[in-house]
Amino acid sequence: MSARMLNWIAALGVAALALAAFLPGAVDSYAFSFLFFVFLYAIMAQAWNLVAGFGGQVSLGNHAFFGLGAYTTAILWSGNYLWGSLYDAYPRIYYFDPVTMALGGLVAALAAVIIGLPLLSKLRGDYFALGTLGFGEIVKVVLINGGDFTGGAFGVVAPAGTFDTLLPHYLVGLGLMVGVALALRLLMRSRYGLALIAVRDDEMAASANGIDTLKVKVAAFAGSAFIAGVAGSLYTYYIFHVGPDSVFDLNWMLLPLMMTVVGGTGTLFGPILGAFVMYAVFDLARIAVPDYHPVISGLTIILAMLFLPKGLMRVRGRRVA
Amino acid sequence: MQPDETLLRLEAVQKRFGGLVVLNNIDIAVGPNELIGLIGPNGAGKSTLFNLITAIYAPTRGRIRFRDQDITGIAPHRISRLGIARTFQLVRTFLTMTAFENVMVGAVYGAGGRVKHATEAANAALELVGLTARRDIRTAHMTLSERRMLEIARAVASEPALLLLDEPMAGLNPTEIQRMVDVIRRVRAEKGVSMLWVEHKVDAIMKVCGRVIVLDHGEKIADGAPREITQNRKVIEAYLGEPAA
Ligand SMILES: Nc1ncnc2c1ncn2[C@@H]1O[C@H](COP(=O)(O)OP(=O)(O)O)[C@@H](O)[C@H]1O
Ligand SMILES: [Mg+2]
Repeated sequence: MSARMLNWIAALGVAALALAAFLPGAVDSYAFSFLFFVFLYAIMAQAWNLVAGFGGQVSLGNHAFFGLGAYTTAILWSGNYLWGSLYDAYPRIYYFDPVTMALGGLVAALAAVIIGLPLLSKLRGDYFALGTLGFGEIVKVVLINGGDFTGGAFGVVAPAGTFDTLLPHYLVGLGLMVGVALALRLLMRSRYGLALIAVRDDEMAASANGIDTLKVKVAAFAGSAFIAGVAGSLYTYYIFHVGPDSVFDLNWMLLPLMMTVVGGTGTLFGPILGAFVMYAVFDLARIAVPDYHPVISGLTIILAMLFLPKGLMRVRGRRVA
Repeated sequence: MQPDETLLRLEAVQKRFGGLVVLNNIDIAVGPNELIGLIGPNGAGKSTLFNLITAIYAPTRGRIRFRDQDITGIAPHRISRLGIARTFQLVRTFLTMTAFENVMVGAVYGAGGRVKHATEAANAALELVGLTARRDIRTAHMTLSERRMLEIARAVASEPALLLLDEPMAGLNPTEIQRMVDVIRRVRAEKGVSMLWVEHKVDAIMKVCGRVIVLDHGEKIADGAPREITQNRKVIEAYLGEPAA
């Protein structure tokens, strides 16, 4: 399949998903919330793909950035730190507020820079992977012990109670998934994308050819964290109660990782395709045989690795669309 | 040669790995547009010398100067941007990139992060090494000889003043070796680049280089014209082994 055809199929798919939201009864259907979660996971998968697939740095801490974005949103909202008296006039002002969501991403990105600088200055990638995993646990413990500000082990509840339709969630989720894809496409065609691939392919050759490899890796890590933080923010508008066990669940890191690997690591469409396919598999497994769910999803991953070692998109590298 | 014309200057450089002294008390000066052969038995320290100049390792003693600037201990990407390019003994190309993208890395980042004229520089460098027809081929699908040429093109695209070549002929057949000699000559003639060239094939070095430096067990044992080197007692001993006592 040519890259051009793939782009057309993707554009048609997005248009269909957007229009489907306005079909009668769509909002109340099971498919609607199903798709909302697919979008959420597709955003997380793309975040992981940026640092690990394109950048070659395997982060095992993206659930922490998701959680930081979620907490930031819930705290800003419940404490009304942003909009002051405007909040009284417009009680829904925090809903999908771009400023709140961007701050969720920025807090996550800032944490990524702070942790990424020491971890990524080591040449060996496994330090980074383990370090990010440890970082996730540390953030969780810090938030549990954050006192009133973070709500301790219980967490923070956003003062919502006004959500009667999933339509905005669905549309914002779809928009963010597509927006991230377009942004990554632009990025990977730029000078920065060239440097990122160079660092992934051969770090020593990259630095011998003028690339500041630490800067490139930290930027990719921070970009990934930003996207994950925005996803966490989006999730807050769905779940309202942000607690250490819900938003720092390892699955927010592991499932997007699996989706990316199955869909095609280091490709633009792979993570999105993987999110659709794998979330369907997980969901069906959960409905059909609740007790065997982990076994079935595990088997799917093993089968995918055996028969599609490079993912559904088949070809590695950024040339695919 | 005037002292202020010196491009690269190593002053009493030493490199130790733990207790092992790999390079000791090395003084080398490279002038503009020089083509210098660097030879010596396996393990003599030739690649390590390149790794010191390009800051992959820091010397344990001594200073390295480039155009009157002390570059000892600065970051590898800054060395590249200052105008020192290199190839690797075990080829290091970006395998998932096309030939053109590989060379673009040098043209953009190696030349200091420029935006303008990078494409032209990359295309010209591919032309210079004869890879224009392979421009859009992925490096993973290229032969060893093509990858060695590609490394040189990537280095040339960064418009260096000094180029370090680490055994560019290793693993090539006689036809490819002849092509490599032509490319090295052309890079020097057309780009005016100074070169330090490590090679196992001593005969090629002697034919092409105006000056030859010999390393043995981490010491510089000779430095001069090819004719002097071939008659140097220390060099003969290093290559043929110590004469029986
Ligand atoms: N990173 C390293 N750690 C320890 N010893 C090294 C390292 N790099 C090179 N050496 C040693 O330094 C010596 C010189 O190696 P090298 O510079 O590769 O030689 P040459 O390129 O002349 O064949 C060898 O004995 C080698 O084992
Ligand atoms: Mg060597």
